[in-house]
Amino acid sequence: MTVAPETDTPPVPEGYVRLTVDGRRIDAPKGELIIRTAERMGVVIPRFCDHPLLDPAGACRQCLVEVEVNGKAMPKPQASCTMTVADGMVVRTQHTSPAADKAQQGIMELLLINHPLDCPICDKGGECPLQNQALKHGRSESRFRDTKRTFAKPIPITSQVLLDRERCVLCQRCTRFAKQVAGDPFIEMLERGALQQVGTAEHHSGQSYFSGNTIQICPVGALTSTAYRFRSRPFDLVSTPGVCEHCASGCSQRTDWRRGKVMRRLAGEDPEVNEEWNCDKGRFAFRYATATDRFTRPLVRDRSSGELREASWTEALRTAADGLVTARDARGVGVLPGGRVTMEDAYAYSKFARMALGTNDIDHRARVHSDEELEFLSSTVVGTAPDAGGVTYADLENAPAVLCAAFEPEEESPIVFLRLRKAARKHTRVFHLGQWNSPGVEKTVAVAGAGGPLHSGDLLPCPPGGEAAALDELPAEADEALRQPGAVLVLGERAAHVTGLHSAAVRLARRTGARIAWVPRRAGERGAIEAGTTPTLLPGGRMVTDSRARADIERAWGLKPTMLPDTPGRDTGGILAATASGELSGLLVGGVDPDDLPDPALARRALERADFVVSLEMRPTVATERADVVLPIAPTVEKSGTFLNWEGRAREFAVTIESTGSLPDCRVLDTLAVEMDVDLFTQTPAAVAGELERLGSHDGRRPQPPDVPASPAAEPGPGQVLLATWHQLLDNGSLQDSEPHLAGTARPTAARLSARTAQEFGVRTGQHVTVGAAGGTVTVEAEVVDMPDRTVWLPTNSGPSKVDRELGVGHGALVDLAADVPAPPGAAPASPDPSRPDNPAGPAVQEGTAPTGSRRAGDSGGSHSEGSRA
Amino acid sequence: MGLEESLPNGILLANVEKLVNWTRKTSMWPATFGLACCAIEMMTVGGSRYDVARFGMERFSASPRQADLMIVAGRVTNKMAPVLRQIYDQMPEPRWVLAMGVCASSGGMFNNYAVVQGVDHVVPVDMYLPGCPPRPEMLLDAILKLHAKVMDEPINAKRAQLQAERGDRTELEASSEKYAPAGRGQRKRAERQQQAQRREMGAEGRLGAPGIESAGKNDSPGEDTADGRQSGTGHELGAGR
Amino acid sequence: MGMFDPLKGFGVTFSTMFKKVVTEEYPEVKKIPAPRFHGKHQLNRHPDGLEKCVGCELCAWACPADAIFVEGADNTTELRYSPGERYGADYQINYLRCIGCGLCIEACPTRALTMTNVYETADDNRQDLIFTKEDLVAPLLPGMEQPPHPMRLGDDEQDYYVQGPRLAREQGVPEDETVETGPEEAR
Repeated sequence: MTVAPETDTPPVPEGYVRLTVDGRRIDAPKGELIIRTAERMGVVIPRFCDHPLLDPAGACRQCLVEVEVNGKAMPKPQASCTMTVADGMVVRTQHTSPAADKAQQGIMELLLINHPLDCPICDKGGECPLQNQALKHGRSESRFRDTKRTFAKPIPITSQVLLDRERCVLCQRCTRFAKQVAGDPFIEMLERGALQQVGTAEHHSGQSYFSGNTIQICPVGALTSTAYRFRSRPFDLVSTPGVCEHCASGCSQRTDWRRGKVMRRLAGEDPEVNEEWNCDKGRFAFRYATATDRFTRPLVRDRSSGELREASWTEALRTAADGLVTARDARGVGVLPGGRVTMEDAYAYSKFARMALGTNDIDHRARVHSDEELEFLSSTVVGTAPDAGGVTYADLENAPAVLCAAFEPEEESPIVFLRLRKAARKHTRVFHLGQWNSPGVEKTVAVAGAGGPLHSGDLLPCPPGGEAAALDELPAEADEALRQPGAVLVLGERAAHVTGLHSAAVRLARRTGARIAWVPRRAGERGAIEAGTTPTLLPGGRMVTDSRARADIERAWGLKPTMLPDTPGRDTGGILAATASGELSGLLVGGVDPDDLPDPALARRALERADFVVSLEMRPTVATERADVVLPIAPTVEKSGTFLNWEGRAREFAVTIESTGSLPDCRVLDTLAVEMDVDLFTQTPAAVAGELERLGSHDGRRPQPPDVPASPAAEPGPGQVLLATWHQLLDNGSLQDSEPHLAGTARPTAARLSARTAQEFGVRTGQHVTVGAAGGTVTVEAEVVDMPDRTVWLPTNSGPSKVDRELGVGHGALVDLAADVPAPPGAAPASPDPSRPDNPAGPAVQEGTAPTGSRRAGDSGGSHSEGSRA
Repeated sequence: MGLEESLPNGILLANVEKLVNWTRKTSMWPATFGLACCAIEMMTVGGSRYDVARFGMERFSASPRQADLMIVAGRVTNKMAPVLRQIYDQMPEPRWVLAMGVCASSGGMFNNYAVVQGVDHVVPVDMYLPGCPPRPEMLLDAILKLHAKVMDEPINAKRAQLQAERGDRTELEASSEKYAPAGRGQRKRAERQQQAQRREMGAEGRLGAPGIESAGKNDSPGEDTADGRQSGTGHELGAGR
Repeated sequence: MGMFDPLKGFGVTFSTMFKKVVTEEYPEVKKIPAPRFHGKHQLNRHPDGLEKCVGCELCAWACPADAIFVEGADNTTELRYSPGERYGADYQINYLRCIGCGLCIEACPTRALTMTNVYETADDNRQDLIFTKEDLVAPLLPGMEQPPHPMRLGDDEQDYYVQGPRLAREQGVPEDETVETGPEEAR
């Protein structure tokens, strides 16, 4: 770098200061930390506590530099991670200043005094900043000849994070992360002086959905993962960038694997999406792909015995093709791809349904859904993307106000939650239209800012089912806030529970000018809409009923004109009802668990009644039990593809573990179609991506958004309450199978009700309550919280609380509530046979234990072998 | 393999089988296939110090037509692979292949685009010999183990089937134990020679690790092991020095 | 060229008959290699039988042929295989990759891995030449006990690492004997 002569120097830009670092002049924005300025110049100052996404702490003192302000040298070296730049400042780092170098070496020596130096057995060894910097900036020999301070170790902070206090250098990254980013202060600094240590409260809940991040940001091996403990070393791992398959946040991640097996997953860095964080589900839930019950060979139902048997691909595809052709020619086949497919696989399903089966009976929504939602999706959601005017993470962060309706960010899209929290810490007012002050709501409305607690947003309570009406009549405060430019209205996928909520959201957006973001839960939902797996949409947001759009697709797919079906198909509920009543003969089922559907009983009936069922699955489900042909498909790590996250941002990922022999859905469907004399040309995800690119999105007119009048919440009669429910992040989902450490941090399953309601029904906190509906009952512990009266909240699919499966009703429905008489000690009903978790023989087994009929009372372990793919 | 295929099976044939195998193993001529450093050790085995002629391998045949055993000594590059296969195809049956050294056996440390990752990708291998390179004794050991396998080879398809049904596998014993001298006088002589070797190597006393096999014989203390040490650790030897 | 020159050749042959034979009599007389010989590996034990390997994978990291695979695991109070927190649960050396360079021995921080003089390792299939922990771990000497068992020599791993030989002698292991490969370990 050439330093220009003094006279030629350009003026300092507005808002900048000019300083000298290591003899080089640089302009830095006011308020920048010296360590960042140096970093921009390529001067690396060693550090442990400094992290760009956390507030400065100056805890480790490793970044000492010599500083001269106003021509006067400061008497001692200064921590460059807490000091901001100033005009005329002269900074000398360890490269030019012997004093700074000596100071850093001294700090390193002090840090190592109590460090156990057990690198060979430490999980961080090989990727440890302390190790690296000790070799780079430390003394080659220790002068310390005394006994080191020791602690009992390791102590579990949560079931998945272990703390080794001996290795800790007290940088406070973990405690600052917990406090500032996650908002779960599950760890704190204790004691003082030489005894200072990271610790937990004696009766702490230890509960955080983000605790795994502390492991990743720990600059030493003080925090390690229980699941990964001693499993491998970084130098023996292959790191592959990837995308998380669990939710629609679309986190980039790093998958570390060796010898064909994923050892751990870390958050990837993507400032536009997940910054450097991810949630524990994304970090720890990956062993489902190596579960022993995974299908590796195709299965065909043996005609004589009626059992599934292993078959060759040739035979299985032949059988499947024959069966599907027969069913198609009889009364037709419905297609249920499920919400976890990649965009490429969804496109293959879409093309398969239209070309090979000649139907629009396809719907990926394996969850609550409505026609209104479909109208909303095809008018407002499809085609939006960050570069096409869609709401992005950055928009959330910079919004003056955000209103979440039918959306619980921490449980349903944790990275959206982190962004909302980050926004709330700055200036954004976050409103939640919901039922109770859940932890996620609390952490985004009342945030501890730099200067103490800051009350930014609020919970707008409403009875379940009354969200649409509440949106139409928002309190003035929220209404005002949403009228500011840049305000965002976030709508969750469970808005489909409430008639008129989508319409009310559109009306509100028109009224206030707020932009609408729709955040589904599953990773594949958003891409599937673009790929055309809904009954009214073709790929690229083209309407089935639009003849010009159909012609587009017919041309692209090489079909003769008018070959595409032109009437909207049935949605998930319609397909299942038609199959159950015999109007459809066959089903092609992807990753769908019937227990996730609003009416699992209907799904079971449909599967029973269907003449022919083909299932593309990875592991056994209710669908594969009934299927005539099961075709094994690849898990995310073994295939490539694209997920669209809720923003509509394409999150592409490559194959992580190569040549395992497993095939992605699109390849299986392509071969299956060839057996049916149809060419899909979807052999590889890359080929599909190319075709999607060529197709582009539809430039025609969008349909009108729905305008359904808001329905009021139902009125509970005597003995009845309104049911509020949503999924928790960690629940019975089958993608979290065989992760005991992860399951340890799931929130306890409890029914929430208000103090008044509790009193009315004679319930105390800790006592069991039974919630009953037409489909059955759920019995869980009760907890009294602040929420609207005559309302009970249940987690949708946690432990024994399986709302869809057991109750058969959803959010906003009327349910019966009864307090359980506490069972006498020792008379806890035995868990039902785990191989038959849906054992309906309740009364015979549990007679007498509870007069109110606690059919599921003993079923509290959450240890079912099956679970939904939630 | 011709006539023996049509022979009936029985006691007579079992003995014929032994005789045939004995003739095969006692005059097994190796084809030279030195490819790299292992070949130096292979040549040494042909020299007077190790004298492979003691085992009926009178000469290293430079023509494949006169060879029974191919000792692949060294890493096989992808360019060499077809040549190797051709040489193998030119050898008359019965023929055997010995992969000498880690490179021939699995590619060894050359896990790259140029080297065949194990010569068994090209020809069937009867004996794998680790080492980089293996010392001549190791090659002799491998050859002797191969001899043991040859002795158990079935003479025709029927007997091969019978053997497969029985699930027999030739037990591969370390040659120094298998051929350890039986007589007391011979044992004494062997011990004297080994003492001299130890002196030459500076391996007297306890230096050098006890072998796992020899150390494993702790349960019968005092029994002389083939290498002349006692009780695995050489403790008594050291004490007597 | 003299008249007796052809006979001189026979003379050489004749005189050699009385010289010492240079041919080694392997396999009847097993060759003793030099102590520094890089033979098969051995996973050593502490004097009470606990394993020295902590599963740190430094040997695998040092291996230029990628012949070693290690996976560590957690010692528990019920199942203890080594002093300290960590032990090598899975240990494999592929002898068809191992070039016997000994870098793994140099890398080992606990001197758990050493090399023996065993060299007769030829085998007829690749599978059997991947030696697992059972094949590699050192035999139990007198006074040793098959793990898992609690720490017998001290309260924590420091006792084993810092004063293992002394504690072993107190336990009755002879003065100049450890399970190690050289006398220097006994000091």
